[in-house]
Amino acid sequence: MKNTRLARHSLRMMGRYKLRTSFMMLGSVIGIAALTFVISVGQAAQRKILKTVGQMFGDSGIVIHDGGGEMMGGPHGPGTRLKIDDIAALAKELPGIEAWDPMQTITTSVRHGDSTENALVRGESERWPQVWSRTASRGDLFDETAVMGSARVAIIGETVAKELFGADDPVGADMQIGSVPFKVIGILEPWGTDPHGMDRDNEVIVPISTLMRRLTNVDTISAAKLVVTDPARSDEMKAEIRRILRERHGLTAGQPNDFSIITATEIRRMVGQVQRVLFLYLPLVAAIALIVGGVVSASLMLVSINERVAEIGLRRAIGARRQDIRLQFLLETTITMLAGGLGGVALGYVVAQIGATRMHLDGVNPWTAALLGVLASSLVGVLAGILPALRAARLHPAEALR
Amino acid sequence: MIELKQISKTYKRPTGEPVVALSDVSLHIDRGEFVAIVGASGSGKSTLMNILGLLDVPTSGQYLWDGADVTSLDPNRQAEMRNKKIGFVFQAFHLLPRTTALENVELPLLYSDRRSIKDLSRRALDAVNLADRIHHRPSELSGGQQQRVAIARALVNEPDLLLADEPTGNLDRTSALEIISVFQTLNGTGRTIVLITHDREIASFAGRIVSLERGYRVGDDTVVRTTRVPQEAQ
Repeated sequence: MKNTRLARHSLRMMGRYKLRTSFMMLGSVIGIAALTFVISVGQAAQRKILKTVGQMFGDSGIVIHDGGGEMMGGPHGPGTRLKIDDIAALAKELPGIEAWDPMQTITTSVRHGDSTENALVRGESERWPQVWSRTASRGDLFDETAVMGSARVAIIGETVAKELFGADDPVGADMQIGSVPFKVIGILEPWGTDPHGMDRDNEVIVPISTLMRRLTNVDTISAAKLVVTDPARSDEMKAEIRRILRERHGLTAGQPNDFSIITATEIRRMVGQVQRVLFLYLPLVAAIALIVGGVVSASLMLVSINERVAEIGLRRAIGARRQDIRLQFLLETTITMLAGGLGGVALGYVVAQIGATRMHLDGVNPWTAALLGVLASSLVGVLAGILPALRAARLHPAEALR
Repeated sequence: MIELKQISKTYKRPTGEPVVALSDVSLHIDRGEFVAIVGASGSGKSTLMNILGLLDVPTSGQYLWDGADVTSLDPNRQAEMRNKKIGFVFQAFHLLPRTTALENVELPLLYSDRRSIKDLSRRALDAVNLADRIHHRPSELSGGQQQRVAIARALVNEPDLLLADEPTGNLDRTSALEIISVFQTLNGTGRTIVLITHDREIASFAGRIVSLERGYRVGDDTVVRTTRVPQEAQ
């Protein structure tokens, strides 16, 4: 009862000193806004990365790219040599491969009537829905017969469907890829934008044999994905794959690989490193801002105590105990920092929303950040308040009143 | 009510050399008295006021309050005594700025367990004739009015003792007499008042004058006929 009364009184007093209170709040506003921004955008980015990785690799994927280099998009050496037979041989020789899908891509124009659009055309085997965990949302998929017979059938993405067909139903309609006529048999399940900013709905999937024979006229593939039964063994699998492919390609010791292999496990490791940066170093920056804010508040509070010596003396004279004075100043600092923290959460959230929109992230969720912000600002408030509160409570009443 | 027995207080200068502020001062104050403690600066009257007000402890001697020894109470008990039994009035008023008269008067009640704070505070302001100024801030009040707010604050907890340290020191003569008149009225209703002043004229309005000189009690006169504050100043 007495303490709530004192707390209300402290609040009222701070309201009377708006300028001082606002300056004390500022540090906590900036620190918590930074923290909120980093955490909510970081979380959204993390979700997006994990989703994309999940879409591309699943839990147990191994992707083999034609050309050397260790990373996706690494240098694709000349004389590309990865063939469907290589992958088929892997599947035959290596135990533990559940499914595999070769892939060849070309970016070319697709057309229906007067509408033309550039799209990524991917040639795949009939196993692609299983291997890539993607399917058609409407219409049909193509089967083994279609791949064997190089059928001119296409499954198109939502963007392609919208650009070429507008409001019409594309399923069953004719279209041209390059100059070759195809029949649309299905619509791809929507995917969204990938981390490179590519619209993965601006794609067309056709049987790989059709693509190789009628559109690109090459017998090498650009990549293949294997799904393994035991992801824990993916490092060993990778070594085995490397050995077999090197042997098949006749590479001698000292010659670099003319292919590259990435496993889901490796990707997860890389994502983990990115996460460490996001969730360790960036909040560290926010924490430093918050600490600076706390130091500023503590010193403002110390200055204000020097100005309020007579007030402290008076309070002691009229019956305040040391602990009452301590509580009052601790409350003033803590409440100020907490209020600043709440403001910071709001500001950080608004900035995060703007940032997320620009970065094509969705689902910015402020609750973790809000909770953390409230805790952090209260903690900094208490820490910043301790020294001034102790100083205030130590004052001798008779001397303070002089 | 109050009994000081051979109170002494020695301070240490920062250089370490001791300064005697009070020497063997004994003093007995009965309930209902209006005592002025007079002395020049350096006479020890502020030290005496701090000891009487339990804001400081004597180096030696004994302080009895209603027969109970309060010389070395623990700080929390001292604070409670100050809150419940003593009302302070200071030369510098010590009102909180940017805070209304009513809120200033409420302040001692915040540190007590009393209820109906607002009512008690209004009543105290009414008692010093400031019922129409309760929402004014110190900067909107005259010196005399500010000191009356301070008196209301001192009275709000209905203390046994009103302790006033140079309450007229910052006031012009008219306001000073106005304050003294309030004290005389309060004393008339049985309130015990100790007034500390260097001004013999102000002291003459009390019922008893205790003189201090260089830490010693040098005089104690009971005034036979108390000077009344001139009518026009009331």
